[in-house]
Amino acid sequence: MEIVYALAIGVLTGSGVWLLLRPRTFQVIIGFSLLSYAVNLFIFGMGRLVVHLPPIITTLDPDPTRFDDPVPQALVLTAIVISFATTALFLVVLLASRGLTGTDHVDGEEEPEP
Amino acid sequence: MSPVWIVILPFVGSLCAAVLPSHARNAAVWLAGAVALACVTLTFQLYPQVVSEGVVRTVLPWVPELGLDFTFRVDGFAWLFAMLVSVMGALVILYARYYMAAQDPVPRFFAFFLAFMGAMLGVVLSGNLIQLVVFWELTSLTSFMLIAYWYHRVDARRGARMALTVTAAGGLCLLAGMLILGHIVGSYDLDVVLASGDLIRTDVWYLPALVLVALGALTKSAQFPFHFWLPHAMAAPTPVSVYLHSATMVKAGVFLLVRLWPVLAGTQAWFWIIGTSGLITLVLGAYAAIFQRDMKGVLAYSTISHLGLITLLLGLNSSLALIAAIFHIMNHATFKASLFMAAGMVDHETGTRDLTRLSGLYRAMPITTTLAMVAAASMAGVPLLNGFLSKEMFFAETIFVSGHAVTRIGLPVLAVIWGIFSVAYSLRFILQVFFGPPAQDLPRKPHEPPRWMLLPSALLVLACLVVGMFPAATIGPFLDTAARSVLGAYMPSYSLVVWHGLNLPLVMSLVAMVVGTGLYLALGKYQQGAAVVPLINRFDGRRLFEFAIQKLDALAAWLMRWLSTERLQVQLLLLICAVFAIALVPLHKGLPAGNMAGSAFQPAFALLWLVGAACAVGAATQAKYHRLAALSLAGGAGLATAMTFVWFSAPDLALTQLVVEVVTVVLILLGLRWLPPRYAWIDDALDSFGARVRARSRRLRDLALASIAGVSLAMLSYAVLTRQAGKGISHFFIENSLPLGGGANVINVILVDFRGFDTLGEITVVGIVALTVFALLRRFRPAPESMEPPPQQREQDAQTGMAAPDPHAPLPPGPMMVPGTLVQLLLPVAGMVSVFFLLRGHNEPGGGFVGGLIMATAIILQYLVGGTAWAESRTRIRPQYWIGAGLLCAAGAGISAWVATRPFLSALAWHETLPVIGELHLSTVLLFDLGVYFLVIGSTVLILVALAHQSLRAHRKSAAQARPEAAAGGVAALPAQAGPEG
Amino acid sequence: MSWLQHLPVLPVVIPLVAGAVMLLFTESRRTTRTFIALSATLANLAVAALLVYMANRGLPEIWPGGIAVYLLGGWEAPFGIVLVADRLSAVMLMLTAVLALASLVYALARWKRMGPHFQSLFQFLIMGVNGAFLTGDLFNLFVFVEVLLAASYGLLLHGLGAARVKAGLHYIAINLAASLVFLIGVALMYGASGTLNMADLAVRVPGLDDGDRVLFEAGAAILGVAFLVKAGAWPLNFWLPAAYGAAAAPVAAAFSILTKVGIYALLRLGSLLSASGAPAPFNDGWLFGIGMVTLALGTAGMLSVQQPQRLAAYCVIVSAGTLLAALGLGGEGMKGAAMFYLVSSVLATGAFFMLSEMIERTQRFGDNAIDVSLESFGLDDPLDPDRPDEVVGIVLPAAMAFLGLSFVSCALLVTGLPPLSGFVGKFMILSAALGTAPLETVPASTWALWAAMLGSGLVGIIALCRMGMRLFWSSDEIVTPRLHLTEAAPVAVLLLLSMGLTAGAGPAASYLALTEISLSSPRIYIDAVLGNGLLSSPSNGAGEPGR
Repeated sequence: MEIVYALAIGVLTGSGVWLLLRPRTFQVIIGFSLLSYAVNLFIFGMGRLVVHLPPIITTLDPDPTRFDDPVPQALVLTAIVISFATTALFLVVLLASRGLTGTDHVDGEEEPEP
Repeated sequence: MSPVWIVILPFVGSLCAAVLPSHARNAAVWLAGAVALACVTLTFQLYPQVVSEGVVRTVLPWVPELGLDFTFRVDGFAWLFAMLVSVMGALVILYARYYMAAQDPVPRFFAFFLAFMGAMLGVVLSGNLIQLVVFWELTSLTSFMLIAYWYHRVDARRGARMALTVTAAGGLCLLAGMLILGHIVGSYDLDVVLASGDLIRTDVWYLPALVLVALGALTKSAQFPFHFWLPHAMAAPTPVSVYLHSATMVKAGVFLLVRLWPVLAGTQAWFWIIGTSGLITLVLGAYAAIFQRDMKGVLAYSTISHLGLITLLLGLNSSLALIAAIFHIMNHATFKASLFMAAGMVDHETGTRDLTRLSGLYRAMPITTTLAMVAAASMAGVPLLNGFLSKEMFFAETIFVSGHAVTRIGLPVLAVIWGIFSVAYSLRFILQVFFGPPAQDLPRKPHEPPRWMLLPSALLVLACLVVGMFPAATIGPFLDTAARSVLGAYMPSYSLVVWHGLNLPLVMSLVAMVVGTGLYLALGKYQQGAAVVPLINRFDGRRLFEFAIQKLDALAAWLMRWLSTERLQVQLLLLICAVFAIALVPLHKGLPAGNMAGSAFQPAFALLWLVGAACAVGAATQAKYHRLAALSLAGGAGLATAMTFVWFSAPDLALTQLVVEVVTVVLILLGLRWLPPRYAWIDDALDSFGARVRARSRRLRDLALASIAGVSLAMLSYAVLTRQAGKGISHFFIENSLPLGGGANVINVILVDFRGFDTLGEITVVGIVALTVFALLRRFRPAPESMEPPPQQREQDAQTGMAAPDPHAPLPPGPMMVPGTLVQLLLPVAGMVSVFFLLRGHNEPGGGFVGGLIMATAIILQYLVGGTAWAESRTRIRPQYWIGAGLLCAAGAGISAWVATRPFLSALAWHETLPVIGELHLSTVLLFDLGVYFLVIGSTVLILVALAHQSLRAHRKSAAQARPEAAAGGVAALPAQAGPEG
Repeated sequence: MSWLQHLPVLPVVIPLVAGAVMLLFTESRRTTRTFIALSATLANLAVAALLVYMANRGLPEIWPGGIAVYLLGGWEAPFGIVLVADRLSAVMLMLTAVLALASLVYALARWKRMGPHFQSLFQFLIMGVNGAFLTGDLFNLFVFVEVLLAASYGLLLHGLGAARVKAGLHYIAINLAASLVFLIGVALMYGASGTLNMADLAVRVPGLDDGDRVLFEAGAAILGVAFLVKAGAWPLNFWLPAAYGAAAAPVAAAFSILTKVGIYALLRLGSLLSASGAPAPFNDGWLFGIGMVTLALGTAGMLSVQQPQRLAAYCVIVSAGTLLAALGLGGEGMKGAAMFYLVSSVLATGAFFMLSEMIERTQRFGDNAIDVSLESFGLDDPLDPDRPDEVVGIVLPAAMAFLGLSFVSCALLVTGLPPLSGFVGKFMILSAALGTAPLETVPASTWALWAAMLGSGLVGIIALCRMGMRLFWSSDEIVTPRLHLTEAAPVAVLLLLSMGLTAGAGPAASYLALTEISLSSPRIYIDAVLGNGLLSSPSNGAGEPGR
């Protein structure tokens, strides 16, 4: 299981980084969303993997060992929201840049032929 | 009266002068004069005390723990110098009064002048090494301002910049030197330093300290090889040259050398560094002076050479030479200042300083002529004038120098050669300008300058005569105190008399006189047209300086080219590499092995991620040419992520991830329309072969990097996943969520209570982003080619036969009617559902954020289906109010705790049981969550609506090319053309 | 309990509430918004001043140790989030408040009409910076960094224009990536140590077994990279000149504190982790090297730019480089000296940014190109004796005089020439680098730092001198700008403050020396947060159900 999980993170990261290094703004934004999936999974993994134990308490004296570590989940929630917001912003900025510079290259101009 | 005031007074005066109106000429002069005279009297009345006590000190603490104090310290030498500075100052102020043109804004001039005077006095009276450096740099700065006073002249600007650069560089070296000295001694206090000469001379760091200090002094005193700035500084108004370049600023360097003579001198290093530089300057300066055309040029080079003389004397390591040096500092100041004044007067009256044009002025300006003649004679070292005395002492010293034969023979010879040169240029200076046939075609009809303008020069010349005839009676005692304060116990016996009998020095002088005169006559013809200095003209300091500056610029440009980039891809690449490199430092020994049995392998999960991985890679490959496909593939990857969260018992995450996914996709879909179309075959056709090769190699590199990043993060997470988690803080939350947090859903309790502060920040981020997006899109200008409505839409409009739907129709007309009805019905339902999620959040998966997003999605549906205009004619949404309200709600929930005297965000709560929803936990926590809910709705809607509006705007723009965009730079923003504010 | 006990949280709450309230007023209610913004910023300043006073053991009845610990929600550390205000935080807060007030006042003159919500975004920026300086929780630090970044995106893009959007795109992209790095680092540190509270981390790390220790250090290293991006360290700072050079002047002025957040984080975590051997890049060798290159780059940049605001941006890089190198070199008294330099340089760059915008108003486009060539190629002989001295100087209008004077002061501050505080700061660093050991034992790196700092000072003089001449002297027809008092005053105040800093260098230095002591002995901080957290927190018996 862990190995699959780790591989998943790896693949997401790899494709994200690849897109991050592309010259087109749209590629970059897709790269960011893939990367944020990877990072979210990574953070979540820090609580180790537990199956069928959602952190919903029913008894007044629960046994912590039986439950998934809730902290990473909370962190991931915050991270999801923030990355959602910043992705939206990045989208709009890339639209604005496209509008003002007339190109969708990340540098606002096509690369000069050296 | 403490010496502090001597330094403070000029600065105060400078401030007063600065605020005077620019035409208040006489007021400025009176002020400056008063200040200068005050300084003179203040200094003078300290003399008895100095004689009796030796040293007068006042200490003002500044940064005691660093040994930084303002120590004002007057001993004999400092006193003599302070007198020189302030008396000269007074004379020059009087001179400047008549020199500067009536319309000139002199208050500014005198403000800088007084500031300089204060700085100079500060240098002289400093009792602390660092304080001395402070005032030292201040003299550089103020002199910069004075030289560049007529800054509309290029030469003034260049001269000033050169002077500043050279002297400031020297100042920095001096600072370093002083720091080392202070470190060796263990204190920056001058008295302590002066007391520990042997300690310094024996320290291994003596040589570096000496070199650094020497650099400071030599640059300031325009010594070879830093002499070149001084002639260019002649672009300053003549009063400035009189003051700075004869009496004070250039003397600061030699002052420092004398000041530190007790601790630094007496070694071979000192002899060679200081002595050599002085000797070269001495001869070179005198030689160059012969060939100048400009009167001030002659004086400038002669100043350089006389400073060289002083430096050489100091370098000789003999106490008598030191006395001679101090004596010559005074003498040179007097005759050189009066000569500069004379040059200024000639310039002032005739309108030129060109030696080749001037001639026979004695008819028109007899008094000026006499004064100039006496002063020049003193400069040439004619007997019965003070210049003669110090020159004789110098000759004597050169004879008595010990050491290698070369020095024993060479020094006197060079001294005589110097004497010859100085006689030659002095003669030329006088005969050329004042004698011979009366000059023709002068810019102005020459006549005697006003009496008050002559007075300062006259006084100085008088000083030359008196000192020259009765040295022992006039300057003697002061010189004695000064020398004694430097030499202390090692004070030699010497005699200040005019007639030492017929001895070698006198012979040398006579030789110099005769040969010098001969040289002048010999050169007479040559000099007429000569503007260049033969032999050494190639070594032009200025050209070297500018060459150096240009090289510096080139170096900077080179650094910028190699150390920085503007391209984003490179920057991101560097960031990734940096992370990898630095993470490798602790990990280079390899990752720790797992110590925990992994959970059982489930094929379904593997399958899920097989698909997920495929989606991710697909998105990566498709993103350039098939945006829609890429988007949906990325969505697939997101879906896989969400399902993973479900799998590993994190329903909240799954829910949130899902909803966020939806909204993000909608967002990007709305944005896609504005991106330029991109087709593979076109790009391939465009790219040249070279470009394609480059692109391929870059792709390979990125691919490698991407795989490295992926593999390493995978390994990292695997390492963590297979290790037993230590006992962290998590147990606390599970144990206390229900009893203390009052919620069964630990995640939500953490979000809104345990770590509510995070959530507060998080929603603020969302709000900020929404506002930014709104502000941005309000001024957004789509690219012209994407203005046209897309083909699908045009096609559809053609079908329905209407461009824009009618806002007031009860339902969106055309094919959208049925879905329109549905979404209108959906809205209230969605509202219910969202509120339900909001309320149950505390115990079941859900919460404000999810609820808010659901509601937002419902609202967006209205837009999607009905079109912007129609939707807004239905509901008036003011998203930014929602944002504000949401933030206030959350903050209020936090602040409400203060009422119960509990810290921010403490929950106050009570339980209720309601039908349908079940057991309800009402509390400020809920209020907080409500805030989240509002804010999320507001922000999401604001963003999406702002995006949605672009299409409307675009149409309007393309219809009538709308008003020009406001340029960047803060002119009022255009009002929203169809902003959600309505 | 007195309201004073809520002091530590006010720097976050005040701007938040102010910003939110301003959203409820429409664009048209400018005066109201302005009033709110001003009063909030003033209140912020007052609170910061109180905290500085408190950190000096000014409020012994509440915080005897001079370290204010505030348990949010009443959940005691390490479980809940804590705010901690010690000397370091207090100084940074004070600096932020001063800078914020200055830039806000400046903005009022012409920028208050600039795009919608400027005021709110500005308040949120302050909130983010203050929170970052106060929080004692790693993830909360991330959140506040995001807050200040989001606000900075908004402010940077205000007023649009191609240059800004291009710079903004890069700025956002880099910082998004940096945020992801930040998250990975924090997560890894949590995964290895099981806690997020900085003080708790410092306590737990020594107890970790080797495997977890390695993972933890990897996390810390990755986190450090994120901090370095924020701090504007080479090679992660190429976005900075473009972004700071393109932003509106008051925004750029406010930004000059942002890079210092990264420095602060490095200082804070470095000091807390130092007990157990701080990992790279908190560890000295790295910082020193990076700092030196950053310094070189910044200096080269100063020399090679034409536009004042970009020059100011490079001054920010220079100051970042100097700080990193100095902190990397370490040594007794170095942290205090670095702090002094930091304060002085932030004041200087802040003033410089606003000034540069005012100066650019005096320029006509391309008016001094010819003069530059004259300067560099030295046409016309400077020693032409036919050029009579009888020349009349130019009468300066007051506005130009003010601009010139301010420019000179800024130049002195950034190049570290006497007599302003820049010199004192440089002197402190130089002498601290020398230490107290005999000179033979002084390492080469010290001399390298000396050479770098003095050299960059000299190059700065050359660059600024050239630019000053070009801006003020070379063109005959300089447009005398109309300056509002509200524009001139902030610059003047910042410069006066730096002069005050020079005069009061003694007290300031001793305060900062104490700051250094508390940094070099993290035990006090840790105890304040964990040990007797209850005693020093307003909520006695935290965690007890008050429901």
